[in-house]
Amino acid sequence: MPPRFGKLDTNAWAKFASTINGFKTEEWKLKNAGILELHQEIDDDPADALIPRAMHPAIPAYTIINVMHVEESPVGEFSIAEVRVAGRTGVRPRGFVLRSYCNSEAARKELGARWGYPVTPGDVSLTLRHDRVVGRVKVDGRTILHVEQLDRDVISGNDIQYIASMHLAHSREDQKLVLIQVDPEYAFSRAERGRPSVVALDSEAFGAGGNLRLMNPIMASYTMAEVTLPKIRYVCNPELPALQGTTKVAA
Amino acid sequence: MKFGLFYEISVPRPWGRDTEKVVYDRCLEQVKLADELGFDSVWAVEHHFLEEYSHCPAPELFLTACAMVTKKMRVGHGIVVCVPEFNHPIKIAERTAVLDILSGGRLEVGTGRSATWTELGGFRVNPDETKKTWDEIVHCLPKMWTQERYSYQGRSWSMPQRTIVPKPFQKPHPPMWVAVTSPGTEIDAAERGMGSLGLTFGGFAEQEQKVKRYRQIIRNCEPVGEFVNESVSTVNFLFCHEDDAEGVKVGRRLTGTFNYLAAQLLAAREAYPTKSYPSLGLLPSLRREAAGPGDEMGAPEGIAIGNPARIVRELKKWESVGVDRVNFLLNALETVPQEQVLNSLRLFAREVMPHFEKKETSRTEAAAAAAGAR
Repeated sequence: MPPRFGKLDTNAWAKFASTINGFKTEEWKLKNAGILELHQEIDDDPADALIPRAMHPAIPAYTIINVMHVEESPVGEFSIAEVRVAGRTGVRPRGFVLRSYCNSEAARKELGARWGYPVTPGDVSLTLRHDRVVGRVKVDGRTILHVEQLDRDVISGNDIQYIASMHLAHSREDQKLVLIQVDPEYAFSRAERGRPSVVALDSEAFGAGGNLRLMNPIMASYTMAEVTLPKIRYVCNPELPALQGTTKVAA
Repeated sequence: MKFGLFYEISVPRPWGRDTEKVVYDRCLEQVKLADELGFDSVWAVEHHFLEEYSHCPAPELFLTACAMVTKKMRVGHGIVVCVPEFNHPIKIAERTAVLDILSGGRLEVGTGRSATWTELGGFRVNPDETKKTWDEIVHCLPKMWTQERYSYQGRSWSMPQRTIVPKPFQKPHPPMWVAVTSPGTEIDAAERGMGSLGLTFGGFAEQEQKVKRYRQIIRNCEPVGEFVNESVSTVNFLFCHEDDAEGVKVGRRLTGTFNYLAAQLLAAREAYPTKSYPSLGLLPSLRREAAGPGDEMGAPEGIAIGNPARIVRELKKWESVGVDRVNFLLNALETVPQEQVLNSLRLFAREVMPHFEKKETSRTEAAAAAAGAR
């Protein structure tokens, strides 16, 4: 039976998981969002331990690092950063979120309770310079993530393809672990790309330990967009292949 | 309409010492039988690093073996990657010439540029450049095949004057094709006088428009080679069985396995934002069509699975929109037992083929004949 499956110990990982109130979340509009995204290949075999059994690893394995600053949202301005490991649920490309850091208590509370973001406090910043875009996360004054997009080249938003996320969360109803699919929609007003540079990544701080080994850099992009965090449409059993363990919860 | 075989050569895990050999041997057995049954051609992809999905990085070797076990079938690169980091243009010219000689002038040269980050990244290729280098190389190849002495100073590669030997057996040279996955590539094929080697399809209406546009544009083309190869081929699945329900059931297993595997590939566009790859490539439309709910039997429209009557009906639709040739994928991860694959080929040849007259692709054949080929 094809192909390889993830090997994440979801019970051990559960300590990072938020508790989601239910699956009937209303959509949110995030206005004037600046999004820095880096893609970089990672060591294949250890990466299998960073995605749940419901997912297949990407070939080759790669990580997606995001830093987003939102000017307007239902909870006001906030910044959030996350590290994902790319894979597939069934036949769809998805990124499993290891951990998120966010600088707004109100945003953390709502993103965790509504969409299951595995989010914890952190000082997140996104800075635009003439020659680079810089994303940083500090916790207790210590830098745990510092990424940059170098050589800013303007491209079309049509050339950007962001993939949806999978969040491991506890269901408040029965306390079971569930994978939440979060597939934001983007209306781009600006897009650019450039060389990716990971200046610092504390993989322990993202729960990955020695399993997240950075390899071949791929590309970085920066966009300005209006983002819609949609209603949750699908949830999965993290231990079953997605074709067997997926439940549709909204149209 | 002509019928061919199309090989990705997928190999299931676990990979023991013999696993790949068994799969290759089975493919060759299918090819040998298909030649005896009257199939027109066999095509092989060039893919690298696509574990399980395709273990076919050296199609020229597989196609040479095919040529050795067949008498009439044409052997086709579907495709050779025309990107210098993958294949140096001189080596492409040399290898194809040797294969054309060894096959007795039965080579078809499909060209393309790869569509996955897995492959492009593996060879450290800049995805922005591949279309340009492909274009450069397809203009060079016919000259390398036909000119006694050749030199070149270009954008992506160059060489001082040398005599490239051997020359192809077919004169002036083998027919050339373009892999068509991204929207609009059929126009690239037409403008260059090359065959459209379709690896995807949308609905029949969309396909009909594409074929019409291709045939209009090719009339005023500037051929890269010494003749125009006006041909439209598409790819399909094949599982033919006397019992329609059984044919559809096994066929769906084949299409489902293939589609699931193909979906695991990392498209260039997914990892690397670029206008050079406007679509995901690699059979996405074929996947979409073949994964649909299908009719009351569960057979998707246009897919050659089921009993002979159903397959005739579906292939007639392709014929009606102007497709000259259909190339079939026969298996995926060995999900269909070999004996069933062979029986499917036999039944297809006996019950389906007679419904389709073999028409020569007039402009290619005429031009090639006029040029003294074959």
